[in-house]
Amino acid sequence: MAKEVESAAGFEPKIIAFLCNWCSYGGADLAGVSRLQYPANTRTIRVMCTATISPHHILKAFQKGADGVLVGGCHIGDCHYIKGNYMTIKRVAILKELLRFTGFQEDRLYLDWISSAEGVRFAEVIRNFTQKVKELGPSHLRTTY
Amino acid sequence: MKTMQARVRKLLEEKTIDGFIGLKMEHGHPAPFMFSRENLGEMETLVVGDVRYPLNKVLLKVANQYPELTLGVMVRGCDERGLTELLKWNQLHRDRVVPVGIACTRELADSCECYKPYPSDWVVGEKTEGITKSKRLQKIEGMDQKERLGYWLNQFNKCIKCYGCRDICPMCFCEVCSLEDRNFILTGKLPPENPTFHLSRAVHMVGRCIDCGLCEEACPSDIPVRTLYKKINEIVKEYFDYRTGESSEGKSPLNLLGEVTLELSDVNK
Repeated sequence: MAKEVESAAGFEPKIIAFLCNWCSYGGADLAGVSRLQYPANTRTIRVMCTATISPHHILKAFQKGADGVLVGGCHIGDCHYIKGNYMTIKRVAILKELLRFTGFQEDRLYLDWISSAEGVRFAEVIRNFTQKVKELGPSHLRTTY
Repeated sequence: MKTMQARVRKLLEEKTIDGFIGLKMEHGHPAPFMFSRENLGEMETLVVGDVRYPLNKVLLKVANQYPELTLGVMVRGCDERGLTELLKWNQLHRDRVVPVGIACTRELADSCECYKPYPSDWVVGEKTEGITKSKRLQKIEGMDQKERLGYWLNQFNKCIKCYGCRDICPMCFCEVCSLEDRNFILTGKLPPENPTFHLSRAVHMVGRCIDCGLCEEACPSDIPVRTLYKKINEIVKEYFDYRTGESSEGKSPLNLLGEVTLELSDVNK
């Protein structure tokens, strides 16, 4: 249902991050082990490869009220399953355009390649994305707070 | 009409085909019908008009039940695109399908905003120029983000989950449909997940939609689903330079792994 919602001061977004087991999740682990500080708005879902992430999963996350969805995979050429991330980038590109066309702020969906050695970069990506989603405000599909 | 009837009769009598999926005038209404050597006497009731049916879907059903038959089918420009794709998806046998083409009228091409309202060769009709700019899409592109959101959420709210769009789509051949997955689209509530139901159908139409428009005609709630799928076709053309059914070689972008042609900067604009 479309709801007009005032973006309240102190709004904390809920972000779902789909992270691939080999690279992005390793990067997140490294950020944790290195005691790097980053906002706690993200819930991570570990998948074996970003190619296993169907547009269905992303759409369901938004339907359930996620304010932002982050997809973290391996760099092109470094996929543990060789070409999984080739599919991911195609799917996310199409989904983003579709979301834009139907009026959903497509910036709520973000794709990045984060390797398992990039702990500092992982924290930075989360920081930046959380800030961006905060600025966008609560998702129109949210029914609970 | 007579030309089509004569051609079908010839194909049947020469045993090029065992059956022809066409339209028959029955009680004043055209309906899909399989003409065969057994019912040649009914050939005068074969009609060709502006009326449209998913004949490819009927063809698939018959071909699956009687795989040894060679079948002819009446095709418009869009149906031929559908046949080309179905052959690439291994749903039909190339040697067992004989398409007989008809070209669409100017009025039909305009209302469909079809980019190619004629097949590769046709028995009835005259070639008309296709349309490249869609007014339907321009109307949506002209709205700002908030307007668009309101428009689409209101449209999807009308959905009664009849699955008409999926049932009539000539390109939907999955035996198990994800729109019927209980964990994805919950049962017992209307409207179905707004907007997930329609957005996921739109994603399924990537590299598959032939722009026949039957989905929108079938919708009892008049939801402009065709506009959504037209946009999908535009996205696929822009990002992957691929048009459904244009070539009999090469798989659609989400069906083929291929090489990567996109950068992150193309995605996170």
